[in-house]
Amino acid sequence: MDPEVLEDWARKMRGLMVLAGLLFAILLLRLFHLQITTADNYAKESEDNWIAQKRRKAPRGLVLDRDGEVLARNRAAYSIQLTRGSREDDAKAIEALESATGESVRLGKRGRERTVRLKRDVKFRTVAIVEERLRDEWPLGIAIEPQRLYPAGALAAHIIGYMGEQQDDLTSHQGRPYAVGDYVGQTGLERVYEDSLRGWDGVDYVEVDVRDRVINEHPFPDRGVPPRSGRDLHLTVDLDIQRAATNAMPDSLAGSVVALDARDGAVLAMVSHPSYDPNVFVSYGSQAERQRLIQDPAKPMLNRAIQGGYPPGSTLKMIGAVAALENGVTDTLSTFAACAGSLQVGDVVFRCANRDGHGELNLLEAVETSCNIYFNHLAKILGIEAWHDYGSRFGFGLPTHIDLDPSEFHGILPDRQYHRERDGWVTGHLMNLVIGQGYMLVTPLQMARYVAALGNGGYLVTPHLQGKAPDPVRIEGITDATLDIVRRAMYRVVYGEHGTGKRAQVPGIEVAGKSGTAQGSRADDDAWFVAFAPFEEPEIAVAVVVEGGGGGGSNAAPIARAVIKAYFDDQAQRQAVAADSPNNKRRGI
Amino acid sequence: MRRELDLSLLVAMAMMIAFGVTMVYSAASGSGAWRGQAFYALFAIIAAVAVIYVPDKLFYELAYPLYGICLLSLVAVLVWGTGTPARWLSIGLVRLQPSEFAKIATIMAIARFLGDQSSERVSGPRAVVLAVLLAVLPMGLVAKQPDLGTAVSFGAALVPMLYWAGMRPLHIFFLTAPLLSVVFSFEPLWQNQAPIVFALFIIVSSVIIQLLLARLSVTLTMLGVNLSAGLVTTYLWANFLRGYQKARILTFLDPESDPLGWGWNIIQSKIAIGSGGPTGKGFLQGTQTKYGFLPAAHTDFIFSVIGEELGFVGTVFVLSLFLFMIWRCLYIGTIANNRFASLLAVGLASMLAFHVFVNVGMTIGVMPVTGLPLPFLSYGGSSLLTNCLAIGLLLHIFAHRHEY
Repeated sequence: MDPEVLEDWARKMRGLMVLAGLLFAILLLRLFHLQITTADNYAKESEDNWIAQKRRKAPRGLVLDRDGEVLARNRAAYSIQLTRGSREDDAKAIEALESATGESVRLGKRGRERTVRLKRDVKFRTVAIVEERLRDEWPLGIAIEPQRLYPAGALAAHIIGYMGEQQDDLTSHQGRPYAVGDYVGQTGLERVYEDSLRGWDGVDYVEVDVRDRVINEHPFPDRGVPPRSGRDLHLTVDLDIQRAATNAMPDSLAGSVVALDARDGAVLAMVSHPSYDPNVFVSYGSQAERQRLIQDPAKPMLNRAIQGGYPPGSTLKMIGAVAALENGVTDTLSTFAACAGSLQVGDVVFRCANRDGHGELNLLEAVETSCNIYFNHLAKILGIEAWHDYGSRFGFGLPTHIDLDPSEFHGILPDRQYHRERDGWVTGHLMNLVIGQGYMLVTPLQMARYVAALGNGGYLVTPHLQGKAPDPVRIEGITDATLDIVRRAMYRVVYGEHGTGKRAQVPGIEVAGKSGTAQGSRADDDAWFVAFAPFEEPEIAVAVVVEGGGGGGSNAAPIARAVIKAYFDDQAQRQAVAADSPNNKRRGI
Repeated sequence: MRRELDLSLLVAMAMMIAFGVTMVYSAASGSGAWRGQAFYALFAIIAAVAVIYVPDKLFYELAYPLYGICLLSLVAVLVWGTGTPARWLSIGLVRLQPSEFAKIATIMAIARFLGDQSSERVSGPRAVVLAVLLAVLPMGLVAKQPDLGTAVSFGAALVPMLYWAGMRPLHIFFLTAPLLSVVFSFEPLWQNQAPIVFALFIIVSSVIIQLLLARLSVTLTMLGVNLSAGLVTTYLWANFLRGYQKARILTFLDPESDPLGWGWNIIQSKIAIGSGGPTGKGFLQGTQTKYGFLPAAHTDFIFSVIGEELGFVGTVFVLSLFLFMIWRCLYIGTIANNRFASLLAVGLASMLAFHVFVNVGMTIGVMPVTGLPLPFLSYGGSSLLTNCLAIGLLLHIFAHRHEY
């Protein structure tokens, strides 16, 4: 070639090499930045890719009754998971899952997490389909998660409560975060003891591929934190007593039964009827059933024992009796203004259950026969302030502080002011209040505590479901003599000739109690019975209410009897076991 | 007559190919893809050496017929093509990607056309328009597949060839200025600064043209061309591009905007390369690669595998080897025995440089994801054969440089 041309080419080549050199310099600079300057950041991101932190959910603590019977435990539930890719890939995988299982699947909103649950708590058929037919071709997987199970079902639903799904991942408590979809205690003990039941989640470092499939379970044996399971909850409740109380309730009527250890306030049974199966709240497919429960007009979700407000009727008369005795209005033996079957106070005529009148009565007889007029006379002398004072001392209108629901209903113990704010004060109101009517409202739990205090020598206990009993508090301003009189009166309710609570008698056990037939908002009267037993050294205190149940002596007393009987049967059994066990040990069993 | 062999280029190519097969083995371990690649490699190297023995004038004679055949096969791809997107032709057992071979054929045709013109004529508009037309025909057919990266590569080879053939740099600037207008007016690139950036470019370029040429008519014409190119770009972006096309471009600009979707490739590639650090994680030890985080590891993103497993040392080695090959190709262009051969060498060198820059640039996030393979290293028979044939042509030019 012409030397001039060669010279021209050589010159142009230098130009092109400079250009190429510049382009390569850009690449090299960028590579230097990636691989030298910021390599550590990328090394970290790379590790985040293939070393996945898998949360190991701590097993939730069990809930057990006082005999060790399980009320809440955990079962294995299978979820189908999707490891996300592009929107198109996600849609295709979901479509494959839908066509293979024949069920529709919904993918939630797109977050940053790579693995999402598509379906929770699926049937084993679905697990098999995913495992055998879909897993290799699609980014789908199976995860096993612990799910709550309530073996006793509806029996203790209101005590245990239930759990619900966490909707966002922002909340955390005591440095322990919740993830979206975690089940968290919503009501009852599951809520109150959430922090001790849930335990501490652990973390595993596992080697995963891009589809989040685990390649190596333990790439770093020394890293990772094992989960610490939640503390078991040992309840004071006895399921045998709970069962007896539930069975004794009429199926068709709502109501509640509360049985306390009269000495320390341990809850032995707490029934709210009708009940519900808490398993529907931890079962992923039961949305319709949950909706039905929440909207049910019979309100099965309401824990009537602590949220139900009822007029207590005649079961409240012991407040009037105690107040009258302490204020010297009467004593045991004095007979008091004859009951002529009715009494006019102001413009209103108050009537006794016995229209012909009980005639002349002393306090014991008045309680035994539940004479309204006798108590009206007492109240007229006593006055609202003294009566209210004693009502308050027995805990009415005040929370019981049970460890079940911080927002328990406090009930209403009206005073003069309360009436003034509504319809003005007249003495007639007191005539209603002293027989447990008017604006007076109580919870069954308050009634159980009240009757326990009457039985145990004047100690107000704190009802509790687990743990050490809070110390009972001696109610001030009540002498033993007063209590003795009231206790004897309650004994006569069950065993007296004219006693209204004869149906509460339990063979072999002395029972004391008081019936009540309260006029509430319902067409039929609420049936009440409160009782303690044994008479001499009370161990159990019971309060029963049946909404629209009619006469308390005829309809509520038998339920109290069933509960007391179940308690003593259970005690006998326990003593038999305790007597046996030393022998068993000796024989090496 | 004794034929001299450019051993350095042949050895560089062989090293690159052997390295490529090794990295494919790591990138697609367990798939046996490396065996296929090794087989292609053997065939391709033999083909490259065979090209040396083709009679000297034959390529010149065949340039236009080959170009015609390639155009027809590109049309055939549009009609009977297979794959998604359709880029392949299946003839019996053989599956070919005509766009790969069209690169060489087009460069040959342009080399012949420009080689037949004198340097003076190349300065004129007629020759330039015809040369551009030669490139635009296959470009359009490939873009239609669609394969934007390969389509652009035709243009990338053309510009240095025009320069080599005698076109004045200022005229090349005239030719490429509208493209720069597109870039500078592209809104996603400059955010809301786009009008300012574009205005600056228009003013500066016009002032330079005016100062160099001092001809107001030319300056005003270029001003009009550049302005309309910028405005059309803005209009098309707002009204014409489909959602996924916009998404692709936006993801290139900001991969984090869709980390699990379009941005995934770029992010994972950068993590692979960055996490390789100075010396890499070791051969077969790349976690991005072996656990599937890096997509298309043995094809488009083979460079990321090198970066992850061999580190900065590995990437610098590969780029140095490529730069050496590019230099060697250009050098052969300066010692060729005729204009056609010289232009052919420059075209092939440019094509190689463009592929390396775009592919490597893609893996480190300085270029968009286009799907251009990395020459000699990416898995794929057609690409390997094409690149070997290109080197074969250069060896041929070297061997025949003393013949007239």
